[in-house]
Amino acid sequence: MRVSKGDIFERVFVNEPEVGLKIEQEAGSRVKIVVVNFAPGTNRITVEQLGEGCETEIYALAYLHHDEAVTTETHVKHAVGGGTSNQLIKFVLDDQSRGRFIGDLKIVKDAQQTEAHQTNRNLLLSEEAEMRTQPQLEIYADDVKATHGASTGQLDESALFYMQQRGIDKQKARQLLVNAFMKDVLNTISDEALREQLLNAIDGVVE
Amino acid sequence: MVNNLLVIKDLHASIGGKEILKGVNLVINEGEVHAIMGPNGAGKSTLSAVLTGHPAYEVTSGEVWLKGENLLAMEPEVRARAGVFLSFQYPVEIPGVSMTNFMRTALNEKRAYEGKEPLSAKEFLGLMREKKQLLELPDKLNNRSVNEGFSGGEKKKNEIFQMAMLEPCLAILDETDSGLDIDALRIVAEGVNRLKTPQNASIVITHYQRLLDYIVPDFVHVLADGKIVKTGDKTLALELEEKGYEGLQG
Repeated sequence: MRVSKGDIFERVFVNEPEVGLKIEQEAGSRVKIVVVNFAPGTNRITVEQLGEGCETEIYALAYLHHDEAVTTETHVKHAVGGGTSNQLIKFVLDDQSRGRFIGDLKIVKDAQQTEAHQTNRNLLLSEEAEMRTQPQLEIYADDVKATHGASTGQLDESALFYMQQRGIDKQKARQLLVNAFMKDVLNTISDEALREQLLNAIDGVVE
Repeated sequence: MVNNLLVIKDLHASIGGKEILKGVNLVINEGEVHAIMGPNGAGKSTLSAVLTGHPAYEVTSGEVWLKGENLLAMEPEVRARAGVFLSFQYPVEIPGVSMTNFMRTALNEKRAYEGKEPLSAKEFLGLMREKKQLLELPDKLNNRSVNEGFSGGEKKKNEIFQMAMLEPCLAILDETDSGLDIDALRIVAEGVNRLKTPQNASIVITHYQRLLDYIVPDFVHVLADGKIVKTGDKTLALELEEKGYEGLQG
């Protein structure tokens, strides 16, 4: 699909088993995609900026249990300069669940003055959970601002103990930390009703 | 009649196989303030970690009784609900968890343990406001994440604020004076003093005598190499300041 000059396209996907999007952006258009998986799924999002001054935002969150698996692929191409792209991809993996992120970011030779950020943060709640991250950056222009970062870690033990020392049950403390980790992705959802519904859903686990 | 609040008997504890506490004995009664002083590495922070159940430490022998209950058998959160509070030397930042949410969860867990109903949102916020004034903490801290971006002084005030909210029977202040300027120190100390009742007690762990000008102890203990080597009244702290810990050993 094509997003016309100056248009805004925003979509939120919640618990879709399969998301496949191929978007071409014309000059000055804005695209925002949010993908939330609390269940298995495969996401493949391809965005190409064909005109100047495009904005692309991709946010994805997966929170998985048991042997569930989610693969999220993003392919972002800046074919023309002066655009921005921002990606935040998070996985929370419990039990034997598996996450995979493939992040393909390309800035072609003439796409000067591009600003592109890709961040992948993952939280492993079990020793049996597994995360695979494959960022792939191809930057051919020289006057660009591009950052990427990927990290996979566990819950902060000192924060857990601090909360326990205030009387909070260990399980509940874990959930508070997990929810805190997930919130910044959910907070990117513009639709207030849906955002509140999802935030309440994760908080509901605590109450 | 004197009520034993905390009884520590011949407590030995280690971390990573290295013995740090080598037989601590201490009795704390209701209404008392005990200062524990000592050189770096003596085991002061280990004692607070062991009393609160930090998982990195292993108690190898000894007993600890809180109001006649076996403290060492309790999970860390149960010790907290039973009234043991630690003001951390290095309060932990918890990004994404708001002070309000954190404190309400903690307080309601304690109330549930005591068989009380949870506070309504309105009652809770009222209590937050009241206790914050005690520490001269700004209202905006409510919506911030726990300790995130707080200055050193704000973090320590925030510890005492949490103590005011939870009303522990035993407060352990671990190096609460470290990193505080004199104004913050005065506010923190006044907060602690105003929380004092005939039924609760505190353990003030400090390296310097300075804090004890503000929080006046009934007893001063010197912890050295994992044992309490000397006990006195508040004048002992002054003596330590003057002669140093070296002067005591003989």
